[in-house]
Amino acid sequence: MDHDHRLRLYNTHVKLMAFDLLSLTQTPSHSSSEPISFSRKGTLFSRAETVGTVTSRELKPGKFLKFSVDDGTGCVSCVLWLNHFSSPYFARRSPPDVRLIAEAANRFAVEIRIGVVARVRGRITGYRGAVQITVSDVVVERDPNAETLHWLQCISLARKCYDVGTPNK
Amino acid sequence: MASSAIKSGALVSLEEIHPSSPFFKQGASLRVTGKLQEYSVETAIAIVIDGNANLKINTQHLRDLSFRVGSLYQFIGELLIQPDNEAILQARVGRNIDGIDLNLYHQSLQLLRQFQADHLSTP
Repeated sequence: MDHDHRLRLYNTHVKLMAFDLLSLTQTPSHSSSEPISFSRKGTLFSRAETVGTVTSRELKPGKFLKFSVDDGTGCVSCVLWLNHFSSPYFARRSPPDVRLIAEAANRFAVEIRIGVVARVRGRITGYRGAVQITVSDVVVERDPNAETLHWLQCISLARKCYDVGTPNK
Repeated sequence: MASSAIKSGALVSLEEIHPSSPFFKQGASLRVTGKLQEYSVETAIAIVIDGNANLKINTQHLRDLSFRVGSLYQFIGELLIQPDNEAILQARVGRNIDGIDLNLYHQSLQLLRQFQADHLSTP
């Protein structure tokens, strides 16, 4: 029951503000094949969604796009891989699938510009001791109320879902 | 480019930027919201207002942003406090936010601050 409870939010894209996301603790994995997970108040997360302003952008063509998303409570580092045709990770997958993923990633890379508000989804990963998001999806939000609504969703989800049933000190 | 050098712009309202405020620090990274009252092409200085408060914004580093008096804007940048204690925000990011519900924005900001404070007090 405890084990199931800890995993109930695994593989869903949890909506967290940057200050919350950046304070997640990486749980030690017992083997290299075990997926990475991060814990918050006893619950395990693997994926997250963040919404904020893109404030930095570093492109290495054919390799990756690193960018940061500032939501007013912190800056989340994001990495969008662009190395689909040269990486051994994608070599195992069928070429038409890899082409689709690569096309989507390249479209995202063009849309991510400094100053835009982006909704970014992906896996929570760690790099040099810091939490980051390995990007799977990006949507540029043109509605100026999108960020406000994201804050309210983060607060509501934390109170009604993410914090529920967690052990109190 | 070292991404760790880019600081998050703290969400503040214009009325909170005055000498006795904790946000009034040289180089503080802030995110401000206001209506454009004045803009000078020669100096690239914009003045935004929100209620009774106003703030000068240095927009010289901003690209692809057109300035319309009366429109609402949001800027992220660093606070430069001049010798006469007047503050100007050196903006590195700016966008037009016409259509934003400012009441909802301000109310949500208060909720967010409370949420952050609660989170810090119960680790």
